[in-house]
Amino acid sequence: MSVATAEDRLSETFAALANPTRRAILARLADGAATVNELAEPFDMKLPAISKHIKVLERAGLVVRGREAQYRPCALDPGPLEDVSSWAEQYRPIWESRFDRMDDYLTQLRTQTRGDDE
Amino acid sequence: MNDTDSSTDAVVIERTFDAPVEQIWQMWTVPEHFQAWYGPTGAKIPVAKMDVRVGGARSVCMEMETPGGPMQMWFAGEHLEVVENERLVYTEMIADEDGNAASPEGMGLPDGHSVTEVRVELDTVDGRTRMVMTHVGVPADSPGAAGWNMAFDKLIAYVERNEPRR
Repeated sequence: MSVATAEDRLSETFAALANPTRRAILARLADGAATVNELAEPFDMKLPAISKHIKVLERAGLVVRGREAQYRPCALDPGPLEDVSSWAEQYRPIWESRFDRMDDYLTQLRTQTRGDDE
Repeated sequence: MNDTDSSTDAVVIERTFDAPVEQIWQMWTVPEHFQAWYGPTGAKIPVAKMDVRVGGARSVCMEMETPGGPMQMWFAGEHLEVVENERLVYTEMIADEDGNAASPEGMGLPDGHSVTEVRVELDTVDGRTRMVMTHVGVPADSPGAAGWNMAFDKLIAYVERNEPRR
């Protein structure tokens, strides 16, 4: 798997998760499969709006739809989540921000030294 | 690079700093400098003790403000490789103040590995310093289902802080 593909997939997962309704839908599905009607229940939203959110989650591979007649229950597919929430992916942003600070600190030290010399 | 390794159990970050290699070495090995950059956002490093020689111990305390007051986290470890200005390898384990192991989940950290290894490799490229940092999780026997939920919570918190740019 190339780095670019992995990153594209991560961005897609993040984009799908960057919405409170979609996160709530996933949280509900973590308890078990549900129909679109069941998923829509807690929200003050029309069915088409909920369906749209579900489609985004489906495209991101986070939700799979069943084949049973008109119900087509939705189920959570944790695959993409496991990728982004793997141990390493949780640590990466911590290290990146540390090294940003190291860079800032080095700049600060350089400025100080220059000030002392002059 | 091994694919499985890089995606699940190792963080590899390469950075180039506009500073001599000796200075970057000090960033990792001199407590005063280490304390200046190491803490994650919102955390301070009140204590950093490092006996920088093979077999030498490390002890780092991280303190962060939480709604329930300041929380301290201790990390204990040992230096495995020390080649000045070139290579530093140490282990890290979440611990209590006395160096006894503690669980990462209990401390609100990415779970799955109670002992990890940090490798820092430095070299000079065109007068700047290239640093490759590898943080490897030492495989644990049972990551556990509870850990997955925890990771999910953390992921959501992460996404909320970093809404993706479109």
